[in-house]
Amino acid sequence: MATQKFKYLSPEWAEEVIKRVNEKLTPERMKHITSSMLTINTSCPDGKDRAIYYEIVDGVVTELSIREGEFPKAEFTITADYQLFAKISRAELKARAALMSGKMKLKGPLVKALRLSPLVDRLNEVIATIPTEY
Amino acid sequence: MPKTTTSKKDPYFIDFPKRIKDIQAEMGNEGIDVYLGSRLRTLSWTLDAFCPWRSYIVIPPQGLPTAVTFVIDAARVADDSWLDEEHVLGYGPMGGQDQITVLYNLINPYLKYDVGVIGIESGMGTYLPEGHITQYEYECLKAALPRATFRNAHDIVDRLSLIKDEGTINRFREASRIVDIGHREVYKFITNGGYRGITETEIAGLAAYVMRKAGSEWEWSFTGGNEIASGYRTGLAAGGCTPASRKGLKPGEPLMVDLHAMFKLALGDYAHNYLLGPATKRQKWHAKNFVDLVKLCLKTYRPGISPSELADEMLDFCEERGFAEYMVPGFEHGIGMMGDEWRIGLNDGPFPYWTNPDHKYQAGEMIICAMQYACPEENIGFRYENPILITESGCEAMSKFPLAIEEI
Repeated sequence: MATQKFKYLSPEWAEEVIKRVNEKLTPERMKHITSSMLTINTSCPDGKDRAIYYEIVDGVVTELSIREGEFPKAEFTITADYQLFAKISRAELKARAALMSGKMKLKGPLVKALRLSPLVDRLNEVIATIPTEY
Repeated sequence: MPKTTTSKKDPYFIDFPKRIKDIQAEMGNEGIDVYLGSRLRTLSWTLDAFCPWRSYIVIPPQGLPTAVTFVIDAARVADDSWLDEEHVLGYGPMGGQDQITVLYNLINPYLKYDVGVIGIESGMGTYLPEGHITQYEYECLKAALPRATFRNAHDIVDRLSLIKDEGTINRFREASRIVDIGHREVYKFITNGGYRGITETEIAGLAAYVMRKAGSEWEWSFTGGNEIASGYRTGLAAGGCTPASRKGLKPGEPLMVDLHAMFKLALGDYAHNYLLGPATKRQKWHAKNFVDLVKLCLKTYRPGISPSELADEMLDFCEERGFAEYMVPGFEHGIGMMGDEWRIGLNDGPFPYWTNPDHKYQAGEMIICAMQYACPEENIGFRYENPILITESGCEAMSKFPLAIEEI
């Protein structure tokens, strides 16, 4: 049986992400953090910008939604090209390396971001397990 | 360092929110929409935290300021400062987190349609860590905010920080008390032949240990911490800077011990001199000249006198006594919280960013009473430094260590 593939940044993909993340990352693994994050994928294949909005409460991802048009405010906003996020989602590139190269931009308090970066890595590792079509 | 005190009963209390409001009032008067401070003196005076890395403070027209420092030190600065961690941000080599982007994000909201006036701190200084905005920073910010006007505005902080408040003065008193402890220990250590076989660096280290034990945070001076000089090094021409060297102490030589302690960003600074016996009659003559001059100088400081008037009086005395050629013709340097060390008062003298020689001292100002005596041809010299507070009728010398040049 062929493995079901999810289209990157589709509502189905987002549903799968939240399902897998909450299955595999316990609140303890997520250090009971409460925060919000917006990852803006610029220049998607259809030319639009799309964002993933994460709401995390006490270590549980309570919302993960795909946004278009006007983006909501979040504690951290991460902006990069669609292809770069695709590489990160495929675990071909670490988010930290993308940030250090300047290809990815972070808006938000850096001290807290550094503290949370291992958690974002964990999140990305789970996302990388999802069969995804880009 | 514990979190800064907010209790008005604390003798070291400083009303930092008021300092920010005073700056904001001046910004309003001068039509400045947002202030970007970068000098170490401004950071200490507004944050109550030591900022050893390149740091900034962005002061909006109203409300709390935000400090920006190197990310590896941001949490510590927030812990030491009166500001909470939401108002102390880190910068680092990451997309969107470099200094210029972080500053842009903080400044831009206070400019209406990108137009407005940004107060900056530009200039030059003799003091290496002064922290004026660099040309590169200026050009990057100008490129990011092309419609904004940048105006040099450091006079605001210089004006407001000139007269010291009670908490600042008490911090200086405590820093000087700690320096006196250091001098007492050095004295005990070097007397009765104790100086034999030891080096200048050992004296600097011994003093550092006892002063830290007494509560000093750092031997703050950028001139190498505690400055120690012996023998010919005491008499280097105009030699007002002697980081301790590995030179050993020897009988028959002069010894200068200039100790620095820091207490809550206030700076203790006292220089004391010795003659390592046996001293010659000529060495004692030099020593008496210097002690008499220091005594006269401390009696002469008062409100209304200026650095040049004071220098004239002192140099007349030196001339009468026949040692004018050995004196560096300056008798003070500026002092304030960490980073405010050289120029006295405002930048209003004939030479930009140097002390105005006609500056009239006022009660409540603090300076370092500083004198340097140097006779290179005889390998002898002395230094005196002591923080003083100009009072209504004269001055208060903060260090109480007995003024003398003992033969030991």
